[in-house]
Amino acid sequence: MDGFGTNDSQKLILSEEIYNQVTKQMHQLASNTGAECVIFCESNGYPVTYVGDTKGLELPVISSLAASNFSATAKMASLLGEKDSFKYLFQEGEHTNLYISNVGFSFILLVVFDVEVALGMVRIYTRKTIEALGSILESAKADEASAKQFLDLEFKSLLSEELNRSLKF
Amino acid sequence: MFINHALQEINLKVVYYGPGLSGKTTNLEYIYQKLDPTLRSELVTLNTREERTLYFDFMQFELGRIKGKKPRFNLYTVPGQSYYRFSRKIILKGVDGIVFVADSQRQRMSDNLDSLLDLETNLIESGYSLQTFPWVIQYNKRDLPDVESVAALQAKLNFFGATSFEAVATDGVQVLETLRTIITNVVEKIEVFV
Repeated sequence: MDGFGTNDSQKLILSEEIYNQVTKQMHQLASNTGAECVIFCESNGYPVTYVGDTKGLELPVISSLAASNFSATAKMASLLGEKDSFKYLFQEGEHTNLYISNVGFSFILLVVFDVEVALGMVRIYTRKTIEALGSILESAKADEASAKQFLDLEFKSLLSEELNRSLKF
Repeated sequence: MFINHALQEINLKVVYYGPGLSGKTTNLEYIYQKLDPTLRSELVTLNTREERTLYFDFMQFELGRIKGKKPRFNLYTVPGQSYYRFSRKIILKGVDGIVFVADSQRQRMSDNLDSLLDLETNLIESGYSLQTFPWVIQYNKRDLPDVESVAALQAKLNFFGATSFEAVATDGVQVLETLRTIITNVVEKIEVFV
């Protein structure tokens, strides 16, 4: 089962504590590799957090493209008889390279770096970061909060008003 | 849905589904034009050389903070042509609500049915069904000459009684109403603290 839909996806809730731990790991990765920026996003393309200089990059757009790209290659892996998804994608540009990794737990990591930076170094430090993120996200699974604690009836009613305002009804 | 407690964000995904050339991309283009640019992302389109959707179109829009929380909506279209089935499955991953854009023209009825069946098959494979999933149906191209009556479209396509709209997406007729309703339906389904 692919596992999409409101019921399944309601489980994707990130606490503040986990967010801070993830961000700390990303700072470390950016500092170790000299990456221009590091972006952490959910596998459906929702950007979660980033560090570094995104140079005006629209995070929802790059995250959604990266996530879809990763899902497409996961299907390719399956067609080639691979049991699991490919671990990473590497895109080489004239000035900038992009390294996208599967973190697991429905998250992916994007490292944007200058072509002068050695790919090997990015690979090694990214692998270490993913190991650390794995432990953090594993512990997060245990105390996953419910969406019920996030929203209430008043929110729903106010959202409806805000929606009408934005869509000019 | 994805909730980021640290940033107090709630992210929801709406997918525009339907047969090729039914007007899914046109819906998104109209929404993009109408929304305040400070509240929306770029509209990304991944097209073939013939300007048909190859993979998906995407845009995100957000509302102002509500009780300190920021709602964001990710809107996607799927490629309608039948041979892009795997692409559609990928785009459906994590979907919270669906807008089915049907082409009202008489000769497109079987394409509408095929696409709706394809959608239901994909939902069932993941343990869901149109019977219970948040979705709305939009009968598009109502301005064209040889269109089916709404009664006929309702009888043949809307077997679960979803909210329906008579639209002309090229002119924006009922496009924002469709979007508002699907978001309302999705939010309505979220369990909340009472």
